[in-house]
Amino acid sequence: MATIEVENLSKTFGKTVAVNHVSFEAHEGRIFGLLGPNGAGKTTTIRMINYIIPQDSGEITIKGLRVSPKTQKLIGYMPEERGLYKKMKVGEQLMYLAQLKGLDATTAKKNIRYWLERFNAADWHSKVVGELSKGMSQKIQFISTIVHDPEIYIFDEPFSGLDPINSELLKEIIIELREKGKTILFSTHRMEQVEQMCDDICLFNNGKVVLTGNLRNIKKEFGKNTVLLEFQGDGSFLDELEDIRINNRSTNFAEIRILNGSSHQEILRKAMEQAEVHKFQLVEPSLNEIFISTVGEDNIKNIEALQA
Amino acid sequence: MSWRQIYLVLRREYMTRIKSKGFIAATILVPVGFVAMFGIGILISVWDSDITFEIGVIDQTEALAPSLEELNAERYTDYSDLPEDSLRTLIQQEQITGYMILDEEHITSDKTLELIYSGSGGIQLLNSIESDMREVIREERLQRAEVSQDIQNIFETSVSLNSRRLTAEGEEEEDDTAFFTIVGMAMGFIIFFAIFGYGGYIMRGVIEEKTNRIVEVITSSVKPIELLSGKMAGVGALAITQFGIWIIALFGLTTIAGPIAASLMSDQSSQMTDAMGAAEQAEIPAFLDIPTIETSLIIYFILFFILGYMLYSSLFAAIGSAADSETDTQQLMMPVTIPIMLAYFIMFHAWRSPDSTLSVISSLFPFFSPIVMITRIAITEVPFWQIGLAMLLMVLTFIGTMWLSAKIYKVGILSYGGTASFKDIAKWIRQ
Repeated sequence: MATIEVENLSKTFGKTVAVNHVSFEAHEGRIFGLLGPNGAGKTTTIRMINYIIPQDSGEITIKGLRVSPKTQKLIGYMPEERGLYKKMKVGEQLMYLAQLKGLDATTAKKNIRYWLERFNAADWHSKVVGELSKGMSQKIQFISTIVHDPEIYIFDEPFSGLDPINSELLKEIIIELREKGKTILFSTHRMEQVEQMCDDICLFNNGKVVLTGNLRNIKKEFGKNTVLLEFQGDGSFLDELEDIRINNRSTNFAEIRILNGSSHQEILRKAMEQAEVHKFQLVEPSLNEIFISTVGEDNIKNIEALQA
Repeated sequence: MSWRQIYLVLRREYMTRIKSKGFIAATILVPVGFVAMFGIGILISVWDSDITFEIGVIDQTEALAPSLEELNAERYTDYSDLPEDSLRTLIQQEQITGYMILDEEHITSDKTLELIYSGSGGIQLLNSIESDMREVIREERLQRAEVSQDIQNIFETSVSLNSRRLTAEGEEEEDDTAFFTIVGMAMGFIIFFAIFGYGGYIMRGVIEEKTNRIVEVITSSVKPIELLSGKMAGVGALAITQFGIWIIALFGLTTIAGPIAASLMSDQSSQMTDAMGAAEQAEIPAFLDIPTIETSLIIYFILFFILGYMLYSSLFAAIGSAADSETDTQQLMMPVTIPIMLAYFIMFHAWRSPDSTLSVISSLFPFFSPIVMITRIAITEVPFWQIGLAMLLMVLTFIGTMWLSAKIYKVGILSYGGTASFKDIAKWIRQ
């Protein structure tokens, strides 16, 4: 049974359809990535899963239970718009948030001490949050999300605004949680994070799911149709190529997506004519590439037909 | 609704606020401010009596000036031997405030008196000169008419009114209308300021949670309605604590200050009696002879305070949720500020005529009740059905405003980037 099961979920704000018949599943011990451009409906979906706003139609079940205040307690949620009470002390604040999640004071105290020590922050306990540096308060924010030791973790754009150290720390936490068999769902519009971490993805565009499933399988389905090219010399041949799309380009590197079945050998030949080729590799498309070809204007209809 | 969640929110609101510097400062400074205002008021009245306005009199009748001097020696001085020009110079040199020339015609006919003066003293001075003149001229006329002593006594009649209330039980009670008018006003004022003060507290708290971006973290554990009720209850508990401290402090102060003030006052009044040479007994000043405030009045005050607070604080919370920053609240505040201000103005009317139709109807109107009704209850006998009806209507209205506010709040707290317009809010309510 899936831990989070979303079925035919819809939500309308006035005339805007924010979420349009969305279905997906997130499973235990796996990291689920919710992808899509800003305004695709990711945050609205996440809020409905967290029982913050009600859905218009459709079904959300958490471990077989319909969303309710009860399921809220099973989830640790870090919203995109996040913050803390600036005038409260770190310890008091974590205690308050843990108790709101249903923890009793003794357990909460124990968990708070564990996490503060884990983050080398034990001496912040009686500091007022407003006095902490940004990086420090981000750490407190993580703790506030995980302190009640829930089974499900939802992070909305978790890496936005994080400094590099905390980004790494959060990645570590997420991987560690997966190893413990927890269910993790996070949303992002930055693809490389998903590539590194996600097991399953769900691609959003204009409130609809355009692609969902196991990341490895999706990549396989797209086939090895991307060329990674490293070269020295004149790169102008790249502009002469047809039926391709260049996703990533610098003076001596290009990531080329082959369209309409044109030959990669042709690309290699042209490259050799004008420049010195250092590396030529045929790979699965990057998630960024999958994202563009799925959401981008030219291929979106085909993909929808494929899903149907 | 989960009571545990509401309690946790309430406790946080209460504990963090009660420890805040702002709360401690307000708790100490408000009574200090009150005492200071009272003290300044007394000082002003003491100084005021020291200031005398000297009026020169050129008396061509030779009868009026002596009686004026006898009436108020400090004010009137006979300058009949000086020419008018010298008196003008004296005014310019600020030696005297003004002068009057009195002639026979002022006694024989109602010829208008003319006062030439520097302009200081105000209407109070002019009124008292007028009444002084009326008195001496009347006295002179009576003397010339050679009326009998009896008739002269008639003219010196002075009337004083002492009122007692007849209660429903048929007992006569000391009537302290004047005192209770002040009490009623004070209670109305306090509720007026408290609604604004604590309502503002809640509003700022909601805005703070929005700008801190913690509200979404909270709503992933707590329903908006629980958060709203917890906040209102928390600040309400804070209000009760603050009032409790003030009331205790007030009782403490009056027990200490009462005797001190009384001894000061009796010193002063004995000096005064010496100066005047009259044999008047030094009386305890009236304001220290405080009539007892009935417990029922205090209970009503607390009830109306709580009901008024609940009614308005939910609305203040809704405003906070719709605003993006505190400076943006001005326009949204209007629909809430207007009824409070109206109630405040009507209170002044109710204070003069507590039983007029306007007063009665306004005191039943839920948004005015907390201020107008408590003033009326203090001043006059309000039938119980009116008090009961007012409270019932307030409770019903509170259910309505709470429902409305919860709808606005629920959407508002999660809407970032820009203050909502009334149109947006109407849309949220319909959602």
